[in-house]
Amino acid sequence: MNLNSLQNFIFREIDRPLFGSVILILLIGVINLFSANQQDISNLISQIINILVGIGFLYLICNIQTRTIVFFAPWAYLISIFLLIIVYFFGIESHGAQRWIGIGIFNIQPSEILKISVPLILAWFYQRTALRIDYKIHFLAGLLIILPFYLVLKQPDLGTSLLLLWGGIIIIFLAGISIKFLISSFFILIISSPFIWNSLLIYQKNRILSLIDPFSDPLGAGYHSIQSMIAVGSGGIYGRGWMNGTQTKLDFLPETTTDFVFSVFSEEFGFFGVLAIIVLYIFIFYRCMWMTAKMNDNFSRLLSAGLTISLFSSFIINIGMISGLFPIVGVPMPFFSYGGSSMVVSLVSVGIIMNLYLNKSLIAN
Amino acid sequence: MDKYYIKYILVNRLRFITYFFLLIFFLIILRFFYIQILQNNYYSTQAFDNSIKIVPIAPERGLIFDRNNIILADNKLNYSLEIIPNKNKNLSEVVKNLSEVVKINLLDIEKYKRILKNSYSNNSIPIKSNLTDQELANFVTNSYQFPNVELKERIKRFYPQGSSGVHFLGYINRISKKDLITLDNKGQRENYIGTDYIGKTGVEFQYENELHGAPGYQHIEVNSVGKALRTLKIYPAREGNNIHLTIDHKMQEIAENAFENRKGALVALDPINGEILAYVSMPTYNPGLFIDGISHRNWDKLNHSLKKPLLDRAINGLYPPGSTLKPFVAVAALENKLRMPPFKINDPGYFYLNNSRRFNDWKIGGHGEVDIIKAIAVSCDTFFYGLAIELGIKKLNKTLSNFGFGIKTGVDLPNEKSGLLADAKWKKKKYNQKWYGGETAITGIGQGFTQVTPIQLALATSKIAYPNKSIIPHIKLNSQQLKQKINQTSPIIISDQTIKWVKEGMERVTEDGGTAAFIGKNIAYKIAAKTGTSQVFSLKKGQVYDDEKLPDHLKDHALFIAYAPSKNPKIAVAIIVENGGHGGSTAGPIAKKIFDYYLSNESNK
Repeated sequence: MNLNSLQNFIFREIDRPLFGSVILILLIGVINLFSANQQDISNLISQIINILVGIGFLYLICNIQTRTIVFFAPWAYLISIFLLIIVYFFGIESHGAQRWIGIGIFNIQPSEILKISVPLILAWFYQRTALRIDYKIHFLAGLLIILPFYLVLKQPDLGTSLLLLWGGIIIIFLAGISIKFLISSFFILIISSPFIWNSLLIYQKNRILSLIDPFSDPLGAGYHSIQSMIAVGSGGIYGRGWMNGTQTKLDFLPETTTDFVFSVFSEEFGFFGVLAIIVLYIFIFYRCMWMTAKMNDNFSRLLSAGLTISLFSSFIINIGMISGLFPIVGVPMPFFSYGGSSMVVSLVSVGIIMNLYLNKSLIAN
Repeated sequence: MDKYYIKYILVNRLRFITYFFLLIFFLIILRFFYIQILQNNYYSTQAFDNSIKIVPIAPERGLIFDRNNIILADNKLNYSLEIIPNKNKNLSEVVKNLSEVVKINLLDIEKYKRILKNSYSNNSIPIKSNLTDQELANFVTNSYQFPNVELKERIKRFYPQGSSGVHFLGYINRISKKDLITLDNKGQRENYIGTDYIGKTGVEFQYENELHGAPGYQHIEVNSVGKALRTLKIYPAREGNNIHLTIDHKMQEIAENAFENRKGALVALDPINGEILAYVSMPTYNPGLFIDGISHRNWDKLNHSLKKPLLDRAINGLYPPGSTLKPFVAVAALENKLRMPPFKINDPGYFYLNNSRRFNDWKIGGHGEVDIIKAIAVSCDTFFYGLAIELGIKKLNKTLSNFGFGIKTGVDLPNEKSGLLADAKWKKKKYNQKWYGGETAITGIGQGFTQVTPIQLALATSKIAYPNKSIIPHIKLNSQQLKQKINQTSPIIISDQTIKWVKEGMERVTEDGGTAAFIGKNIAYKIAAKTGTSQVFSLKKGQVYDDEKLPDHLKDHALFIAYAPSKNPKIAVAIIVENGGHGGSTAGPIAKKIFDYYLSNESNK
């Protein structure tokens, strides 16, 4: 087997432009993580393992039949809900929130899995009801979203729960719900917002308040936001150089490997570096949406669009959060932040999109 | 609903969402452009402020030497245990724990509280200073128990000569709120970042700018919890300049010792250039008491002492000059062509003003035939009463002010007093009273309203020694400022003949028959002098002054001015011994001790 055929073998069932750009981001992410981590090798190794496991799943999913995915959809949903309930009772607590389940040597974060299982169940549900979609169906779809949303919100994990809600609503929107209905529900949301506000925890309220003016309480709720903006802003055009960012190196920046991993990158690689990364993400986003548009059935389109929206909403919230546009809600940067669950889920999402695209002719009408 | 219709909607909405997301991506790029490029300066400064702590390096204060390189103000390395008040809310507990290692007494705590009260910064404050080697070792081995107590190496002012010369030398003390206002007004506040002390009096105050220097800076990288990681840059401090004084410390000590326990002042000048060789104000006090802020007890002791040790008598002490004024009064007369030899009077021992009011000579029975030279030598009051009346107060004061009386000498020390030359105008203003002829008469013998400082007397004496030299008494050696100032002044204009007569009179003071004849005995050089006695206490009519019967504090002040050697004088001196009785007998020997030292030393050179 010569190199060319090996290459062909490896990339047989893979969308090369998408896979190539994801790999590029992963590489940059690892290099950045090395600096963000204060050159701690052990964390770096476990992140590389996360990536390898993720790529393994991606590769596996690319090579299964689409109907297997369809078959697993309700099970995936039920299992995730079950895991969320387990988290509720037996979860591991950290930073005042209960989000993880310990399994042997590693912990998994069920709320991450929902980023796949919610689009999956919605696509499955709409596909099952394809010929009689009406308000009842949309309402039931809504219930499928509300349940995990509520459970994640209770952990509490405001960022992920809103992300699930947002991703789900977009799928319902794509599935054809009337614009009028969406707009009227939006107004209902506005009206009910005081009640939602009251149900938020103090730290969540503070985070939202700190968005309005993070400098009003620079040592309290706004501290993380301010330190992140200082990191980003001091990066300037060319950045302060890899492993030279003082905000990172001197511990002014919190959570440098997870939520604020891109602040580290912005500080050290500057505007040009940021621009390059954002362009890469835009390329991946556009490629995914293009592939979605090429798909032939509504299950594939809804699922593929749902997963893409979920990934990039996470990206937008994270990057908006570190640049002071959004409050600090603890949403990771896909492909970049340290964390097994997030990494594997992101890569599996890409794997599913590739699978749907590659098999589009098989499920042609 | 049609499957194709759904697909149609889906694809349309998919496109909408794609554009929506692309728009958001574009907005995010704009956001980064705004923060990273447009606001880069602001955030870079913030990042710098976060990570770099600028620590001032206090300059080392300049040393002060006498003219022969004897050190008068020194810096000594000193170890102290200090705490940052904000970090240690519970002082007593820290003290209690610390006491097990290092002895801390009530005075230390009192001092700490005093400094804390006046502290304006977050600098650490010493709880125990001047650690002994043993205490230092004890603390170092147990320092892990006291994470909030810092061992600081400080350079501390030290006055090795103790109380000697304290009035000209002055002292430093912690910077007070008042000092800060002064520094602000001078735009000097930044220079004192990191400095805890400032000159308060004397040379330490006068030459503060030169002695202090300018602070340096250190850029220290700190992490988010404020731990210092490394020094990035050092801009060294500009150390304060050392200062050499005109003072001869040995002479200073001789002079101070010569006063024994008496109060008074002495100023010795080099009459050729105005350098102050000795500058005594007795009693003295220990400047070291002030360095860390003086305790209430010590302050009360100094401030309320009847002996007034804090008063700098040399420039702030105002005394009636008594007969020491006579040589200058003589100059005034001679320059106005009055009483020129061979003019003589026959002194009966009293003088009648307008045939009504009688003024006595100090010597009952009088001095017999007296010309102006003898009048100085024997200090004939009668001669000068008449002289002053004939001359008038205006002309008299004019000459006296040419000698520097009634005007600040311009010495480079703070808060000099100008003394007083009284006249009709002054009296009208002050008391709204008429000026009487009798007041002119007693001005002629240095009594009455006229007040002089010892330094004025010393300067005037120098001007008799060298009338053609224009000098300003000064304490800093080779001062450039002074040279400029001297160039602006002009020498006193006196005819050679006048000076010759007055000098002769002063020389005869230490000869047989003079008022200080015993001073002139058995010495290798000749002293020209004038004695004086100024009344502290006015005798009632008919009362006779009896030295023995009066309590000490009512006794007359003894005054003595002199220069030596009489040909080519090298030193001029003015001495006041408070309540010392007659000038010649108490003040004269002090002058002689100084002259002996200085002139024998001079000839050795």
